[in-house]
Amino acid sequence: MAATNAERNHETSQLEFSLDVPFPSPREAAIALRSLSPDREPRKSGISKHLALTGSTLTAKWSADEARILRVSVNSFMDHLTLVMETMEMFGPPATQ
Amino acid sequence: MTVVIGFEGSANKIGIGIIKDGEVLSNPRRTYITPPGQGFMPSDTAKHHRAVILTVLKEALEQAGLKPADIDCVAYTKGPGMGAPLVTVALVARTVAQLWGKPLLGVNHCIGHIEMGRLITQADNPTVLYVSGGNTQVIAYSERRYRIFGETIDIAVGNCLDRFARVIKISNDPSPGYNIEQMAKKGSQYVELPYTVKGMDVSFSGILSYIEVSGLLSCPTLMPPSLQETVFSMLVEITERAMAHCGSQEVLIVGGVGCNMRLQEMMGVMCEERGAKLFATDERFCIDNGAMIAQAGWEMFRSGQVTELEDSWITQRYRTDEVEVTWRD
Repeated sequence: MAATNAERNHETSQLEFSLDVPFPSPREAAIALRSLSPDREPRKSGISKHLALTGSTLTAKWSADEARILRVSVNSFMDHLTLVMETMEMFGPPATQ
Repeated sequence: MTVVIGFEGSANKIGIGIIKDGEVLSNPRRTYITPPGQGFMPSDTAKHHRAVILTVLKEALEQAGLKPADIDCVAYTKGPGMGAPLVTVALVARTVAQLWGKPLLGVNHCIGHIEMGRLITQADNPTVLYVSGGNTQVIAYSERRYRIFGETIDIAVGNCLDRFARVIKISNDPSPGYNIEQMAKKGSQYVELPYTVKGMDVSFSGILSYIEVSGLLSCPTLMPPSLQETVFSMLVEITERAMAHCGSQEVLIVGGVGCNMRLQEMMGVMCEERGAKLFATDERFCIDNGAMIAQAGWEMFRSGQVTELEDSWITQRYRTDEVEVTWRD
């Protein structure tokens, strides 16, 4: 997976972080997205996260007021993503529909 | 034939169970135990669950002798409970539901306990005392809702016992409540402690402060029997009050604190005096487990309920009476 460094957007003064996660197929990327998106971010202010799909790639984009808030959110997401990927590894591939 | 797999991990127990038409096919569980004097924190608990959940899932399938294709529905705890552990479990449930192409069902943890209690004991329509580390409620079924007749206005009775165990630094293995119960068996002296019943409700947050401030901790072995007698009497009182309101002749105790034999004994005395019957389950089902979520899920699924993925978010607060009990009249 590829990540850009956290950058401060000079117009909005927000830190921005972006993560691209490739999956073997669009279906698997969609499964990961639908597992990771329902839960709300625990912290309501100072951070926003947006998940999207482009083909077989899951993209996560964050916008945060402060570095430590960004770190906490990204760390949690990485733990969750790892768990979802391990689950897909152990119990995949997806059943034929 | 309906087979449901249930995922539970709202506190420090992570359990996955499989139920087929009222039969428990498997129910493996792991408990995150902290050193004496320490409680379990959300992120460490979530970390524990993440590390073991897939192993427990494999065990559940193997012990039931089933393949994913045999499952009809994936149930998981939507809430209430601790946020990070709840998310961990929901993530796996959502992922396998999608991988296996099965419908998903978010279950209320309290209702999981109730439905498991009903299944195991076959109690008809009991007044339910739900007591655990996180919850203390007296519940009765009426018109499609599990209605809360009485509850703690602050902390759960199990929380009170667990905090006491931390203060006197006894082991959390297998659980602090179990160790307090063993200590209490050895004592016979009773020391009066504050008794706080407020109408239909109870309060536990002051009793510990009283113990600490009064100097009673200088003799720690004196406390377990007195603490149990006091808090359990309070629970018996509010249960009896609810029974009187409902004209009920049955009591069902569920939740981890329900394992306590002294509580069962005291409740039994009250029931006998009223000509009522007491029902309780053993530690396999009293303590948080996956099969209870599967059982509640089984009832919900068969009555036509399903949770869409977008609505499958977890919630730390989830009142027992928020759920429409579509599977009972």
